[in-house]
Amino acid sequence: MLKKRVIFTLLYNDGSFVLSRNFRLQRVGDIRWLQKNYNFSHISFFIDELIVLDVTRGIKNEELFCEHVRLLTKESFIPIAAGGGIRSLERAKELLHSGADKVVVNTLISESPKVIEEIAIEYGRQCIVASVDVKKINNQFTVWTNNGTIKQMYDLSTWLDNINNLPIGELYLNSMDKDGTGQGYHFDLLDAIPNQFSIPVILAGGAGKHGHLSSGLDDKRVDAVATAHLFNFVGDGLERARNKLLHDNYNLAKWDVNKINEFKERLL
Amino acid sequence: MIARKVSIVDYGMGNIWSIVSALKYLGVVDVRLISNPDDIMQSDFLILPGVGSFRKGMESLINSGIDKAIIDFSTKKKGNILGICLGMHLMGSYGAEDGGTKGLGLLPNKVELFTPENLNGNKLPHVGFNSTYISEDSGIFNNLDSESDFYYTHSYRMLADDIQGRYAICKYGIEFLAAFEMDNICGTQFHPEKSQTNGLILLNNFVNKVI
Repeated sequence: MLKKRVIFTLLYNDGSFVLSRNFRLQRVGDIRWLQKNYNFSHISFFIDELIVLDVTRGIKNEELFCEHVRLLTKESFIPIAAGGGIRSLERAKELLHSGADKVVVNTLISESPKVIEEIAIEYGRQCIVASVDVKKINNQFTVWTNNGTIKQMYDLSTWLDNINNLPIGELYLNSMDKDGTGQGYHFDLLDAIPNQFSIPVILAGGAGKHGHLSSGLDDKRVDAVATAHLFNFVGDGLERARNKLLHDNYNLAKWDVNKINEFKERLL
Repeated sequence: MIARKVSIVDYGMGNIWSIVSALKYLGVVDVRLISNPDDIMQSDFLILPGVGSFRKGMESLINSGIDKAIIDFSTKKKGNILGICLGMHLMGSYGAEDGGTKGLGLLPNKVELFTPENLNGNKLPHVGFNSTYISEDSGIFNNLDSESDFYYTHSYRMLADDIQGRYAICKYGIEFLAAFEMDNICGTQFHPEKSQTNGLILLNNFVNKVI
């Protein structure tokens, strides 16, 4: 049976990793800090996928971000999706050649769906994740692009209808209202998904503890749950959360983490 | 340390970096990215990776003359080869994508799209870890449970008709070929380099195959 997934999202800003709360960023540390304090390559054995997003406002150092993607993929044997500011096939190519398996697009959906078609022709639709940032205003689900700064004129359902007609492999549905709050997912967003929508759904924004991940996995409409909450889940947080989910018979993939030690010992 | 020469065919289709990382992690010292026919014959072990379109992949192999070298490596030199995802598809006889393209023909199996009928309500592409049922605990499947989880991402499937040797099956609405080992010729629909320790075990079995 196809398993559901627990995804960790790392937010990257100009050489550092950051926490985001309602899209306001707070610096946490650089990649050495991440590795030293959180032993990231170990943590990656407790998640199903990693998403890395360059959320740098203004001019981005694209090569430096690629370098970070390369470093993250070095000892993580899971699928990695990378994105943030992709505007061309060339940029998608650079990320895919830096160890990313998929690219995440967001603003591109409004600015240039043609580029999405180009990426799909070259790499297939399974390689494209559409990220959609949603804010609830006057009981309406509004869609925001450009790091949550530009409001689109279409509501969420119409936006998702449009995405359903693009060559997209997965949807990353993110609540800006819940982002970084640790209060739990915004399940109402799922009600806006059109009936004919046929793309796997990753629910994001708001998870702060194990119970949030499990309630996300409980929802039939959700294929994967994501969290970007560095402080709540890194350390042994993800390890404990996954073990608890597996113990409670959640439909997650299993592998023997202890095998890593056998491979490591042989290298010494 | 594993002192074998493992070459990865770099023909512009997909994520090679992750396979390199996985092999290095397993202690393979000599990992090469190769893109010309002569280098292929010099390898001990060959990995044919790839994501994307069957037609594009095949065109790319033909244009660089790698197609013939891979066939010679596999059938004349009897070198150990592992096709991953699109790489496995290209080893088949035919891919139905874009009106149909002839494959390398290392095995007779064909590659077809999951149709809405056989998807049985499942979404496309097939993405994520899925239960994989393994025919025997030996060869490239050594040390793996008879039901093991591997990571998949694809919309086309290789049919498992008349498969010889060791194999694994996965089901997504309908059954398809998840992996096979016919003597020196191996393939995986899933991505071992993205399948945590299960994938590392399989790759480790492959690079330790008897030459």
